[in-house]
Amino acid sequence: MRAYVALVWAVARKDLLVEFRTYERLTAMGAFTVLVGVLFNFSIDSAVVRPQDIGAALIWMTIIFGGILGMGRTFRLEEEDGALAGILQSPIPLDALFLGKVLGNFVLLSMMAALVFFVFGLFFSLSFSGNPVVLVAIVGFGVLGFVSLTTLFSAMATRSSMGESLLPVLVFPLLVPLVVYGATATQRLFAGRPVVEVSGNVRMLAAFAVLFTVAGAWLFRFVIEE
Amino acid sequence: MMARKWFSRWTTAFLLGVLLFQASPVWAQAGTVLGRQTLGRAYWHVFAAYAVMWILVLGWVVSIVRRLRRVEERLGKE
Amino acid sequence: MSHKQTRWAIGILGTLGVATMIVLHWMVFFWVPTESTMGIVQRIFYIHPAAWWVAFLGFGIVGLCSAVYLWLGDERLDRAAVAGAEAGMVFTTIGLITGPLWGQVAWGTWWEWEPRLTLALILWFIYLGYFLVRRTTANPEQGKRFAAVVGVIGVLDIPLIHVSVTWLRSLHPEAVILNPESPMNLERSMGLTFGVGFLAFTLIFACLFLASYTVAGYEYELKLRDANPGGTQRAEA
Repeated sequence: MRAYVALVWAVARKDLLVEFRTYERLTAMGAFTVLVGVLFNFSIDSAVVRPQDIGAALIWMTIIFGGILGMGRTFRLEEEDGALAGILQSPIPLDALFLGKVLGNFVLLSMMAALVFFVFGLFFSLSFSGNPVVLVAIVGFGVLGFVSLTTLFSAMATRSSMGESLLPVLVFPLLVPLVVYGATATQRLFAGRPVVEVSGNVRMLAAFAVLFTVAGAWLFRFVIEE
Repeated sequence: MMARKWFSRWTTAFLLGVLLFQASPVWAQAGTVLGRQTLGRAYWHVFAAYAVMWILVLGWVVSIVRRLRRVEERLGKE
Repeated sequence: MSHKQTRWAIGILGTLGVATMIVLHWMVFFWVPTESTMGIVQRIFYIHPAAWWVAFLGFGIVGLCSAVYLWLGDERLDRAAVAGAEAGMVFTTIGLITGPLWGQVAWGTWWEWEPRLTLALILWFIYLGYFLVRRTTANPEQGKRFAAVVGVIGVLDIPLIHVSVTWLRSLHPEAVILNPESPMNLERSMGLTFGVGFLAFTLIFACLFLASYTVAGYEYELKLRDANPGGTQRAEA
């Protein structure tokens, strides 16, 4: 068990080290977040609708669009220099490889999500007076579910002639529960509703995240093998 | 081969003709006030629904037949 | 089954299916009385839920065959999954078009974010992803496995999608056939027409599913022969 966790961590650590040396994906996702925030702001006619009212909903769309942007490149490096063959020949179990990739992506996307909340809170003057732990749980489970699905499918998209443009077509339909529960819960929290109103959402988001992390870990071997 | 092609074309034309014939009183009615009181007389919707069903199912049939014909042609060449 | 038996089965199923379909049309357009509250448009219901049932049957086949295909790697399961996905795509489209045709009259709008309609739309896109993955993967063997993974994940996600969109809101007429309170339960002739509709769709589905599956088998054999031109024997299963 401990050895397994060490393997997962080794994969995640390698991905994060590569990322923190180049900052390629974080730069892309961060710039995307801020720029989309600016564009959303210009796209809303504040004479018709108050930006605060839809800010929390836009947060989720930004996390998903920006996330797709970054997650699509999960296996880019391995595919380009043929490192995948090396990893596949090493004795690491493929589910550990998947979980490591998920963990690495989870850390990156959580950083992006934090930036999204900060930037949108600023741009749309959102005020949050609720329980921060619940918000963190909602976003955490949401990001985990999202990352599990996109990591699995980005391995497919890398090998498709459509490339990364295939990823949204595959993932968006599956993300419906995540968007429904995550976005409504976030909006309710920002609107100052009591925690009781979103506890069901948190449970569903947790179920979604756990289900697809486990399913992804099992199915990953069929995706990654030649 | 040729005869089959003509047959399938004429069948399609016939089916389309029947559909148009069926739907013509409905189109004439659609613009009138009475026609727009849809609850009792939504003929147009019903006919369209059944037509759509037939078109899609036949589309699937055509695609299967095409695939079969391609296989047969390949076998015929050998 | 031998090739001859399969062809017979397809022929019989097809004949029965078309015959039942003709009977259904006669019943719907000339025999069954018009439902009193919804009017003529209610006649769409004799095909709409039946299309649904077949679409879900197709999706069930996709999920089951995909999962077992990943496990055992038998090519026949992959072909069955593809035939199921084709059926699913066709009948989901039928459901998606006939639903709004009814809704335009009954709800007053073409599109309503009603749970089952929403689910149908999402299902349609999952099927689309299934075929896209198959088509665009460079290595066809890998494409089959990828599609199977999409099928399994899709089936796992369906209940969650259903629960979530139902939780958002519900406008759909609740199980009109089974509910004893419903006005449609009163008329036996309508129930009979429903039954014939379900039977017709199931027969047509069985016929075309089998046909598509068989043709895919022929195509596979041809590809096998292309791969090793020396051995001309059939890989008959």
